[in-house]
Amino acid sequence: MSDHALTEEPLQFGEGGRLFGILTLPSMPPRNAEELPVFVILSAGVLHRVGPYRLHVRLGRELVQMGFSSLRVDLAGTGDSPPRPGLTNQQSVAADFADVLNVLESRLGRSPLVLVGLCSGADNAVRLSLKEPRVVGMVLLDPVCFPDHGLRGFRARRIARYANPARYNIAWWKRRFKSLTRLRGEKQEADRPVDPLALRDLPDREQLRAAFEAIREREGRVLSVFTRYAHGYYDQAGQLGRALGVNGYKEFCTELFWPEVDHTYRLELHRVRLIEEIKTWAGNYIRDSGSKRCRASVERAPISPGGHHSP
Amino acid sequence: MIEAFFFGPSNQQVFASYHPPVDGGSQVLTVICPPLFNESVRTQLALRDLAISLAERGQHVLRFDYRGTGDSFGELGKVAISDWVEDIALAVREGRDLSGSSVVRLLGVRAGALLACRWAGASGDVQRLVLWDPVHDGAGYLQALRRIQGEIIERDLPLSPAERRETLQEHAGHRLSERMVEEFRLLDASAYSSVPKSRLCVVSTSSEAGFPVQGVPQYLARFACNWETTLEGLMMPKPVLERLSTCLTMP
Repeated sequence: MSDHALTEEPLQFGEGGRLFGILTLPSMPPRNAEELPVFVILSAGVLHRVGPYRLHVRLGRELVQMGFSSLRVDLAGTGDSPPRPGLTNQQSVAADFADVLNVLESRLGRSPLVLVGLCSGADNAVRLSLKEPRVVGMVLLDPVCFPDHGLRGFRARRIARYANPARYNIAWWKRRFKSLTRLRGEKQEADRPVDPLALRDLPDREQLRAAFEAIREREGRVLSVFTRYAHGYYDQAGQLGRALGVNGYKEFCTELFWPEVDHTYRLELHRVRLIEEIKTWAGNYIRDSGSKRCRASVERAPISPGGHHSP
Repeated sequence: MIEAFFFGPSNQQVFASYHPPVDGGSQVLTVICPPLFNESVRTQLALRDLAISLAERGQHVLRFDYRGTGDSFGELGKVAISDWVEDIALAVREGRDLSGSSVVRLLGVRAGALLACRWAGASGDVQRLVLWDPVHDGAGYLQALRRIQGEIIERDLPLSPAERRETLQEHAGHRLSERMVEEFRLLDASAYSSVPKSRLCVVSTSSEAGFPVQGVPQYLARFACNWETTLEGLMMPKPVLERLSTCLTMP
């Protein structure tokens, strides 16, 4: 399929064509196509490649307007990719990713990659980035995080937040009022504590740190966005950077905290905001590519007798 | 093995997956008209499983996404009901071309049932329509989407007054065009009554569901589908899928 700016192609790949994904390509590849990373958008949780509220489809089609190709993929067990029996989740995701690398290499060459993942997709992106040197970027939507400055600092901020008569407090009173006026059965169901991380196969702190360090060494970038879903374990912008203690974190990482936004970006204005943020962040790769080309052309240029680069 | 492809007008192509019959196959083509919005995501896996099971029983099956939804092209805010009804017509034509089938059956899920009957009533080209929890009419369905929207907004999302005003225009997190809303309101139960009763078959998950046209065979397959929800969990309603499969494969 193609329209004026893009082409989309359904791909069935891997052993027996068991994996399914849709490759989005610019109709007119940009001059620096080989330098630009390809975005691999991993399926989120049990949802298929389209993503919540069609987020992945729209993201891929927006990025292609900037020249970025992308593959939105159904990992095994989601959408149109059947499960891999007998493998653990991590083994299955690793096998899927090996197939993704092969198909992308056969179609686009050995391009650098950016992994995009929401929720468990973020967990997978972290583990895969660690091992694959072609990954030069991660977009992590509600990744795991750990308390910074020890648990005491994290708890102290939570207490301070509830003592603050700002919007959180109003929200708390609204919830309290609702819970008191709800029928008994309803109340028990709704008030049952839910640990948002309990169902996820999380990377540990060392894996998370190592993935960030690997991206730094590859001169890549990371964008992390935390929403209200993360409230139980994340409550202040910058917490991830402090918890990881990775050198030069601020130079290659962008960390955002959007406590007013839902985990799956249910409102259109929040989806638009996220896509714009990712596009702005992705623009850095185009600038990098431009400056690398400038540097390369300067290095290739003949040296004038005076020892200066010719213009 | 499925065959996935795009078809239709070059600037707004529709995404489809074709499941060929496993063993040679019959002359029957089933086109699945999915539900809309959140319901389509929640039922994606179930409808895929149903398609595989029908193909194993010798049918040609085509699944597709309406324009502006799923993997299809187009923006939701720019399409209307008439586009979706046209998509059903295109899907049936495409399915016939691919399979060479002479007998067409449709499965319509929720609002997909209303759209399928809207098209089938005018075309007379369909041997059987199986409807899973059909919505009764467009106006009632829009109201349900608005109630979901209210729930989303009330989940303590701190929005500015301008954001709140903007968000209040959405339906269950989706921004629809004015034309779409207008056309939805005009979709009433006459879409169902325009199809001969002998061709209709309803599968309901609740005994309270009812159907606006009397005298249509209605089967109960109990399952808590909980359609009017903000939840995004997938559903795998085995009893419903078995019943749908039986209705779609009966001679």
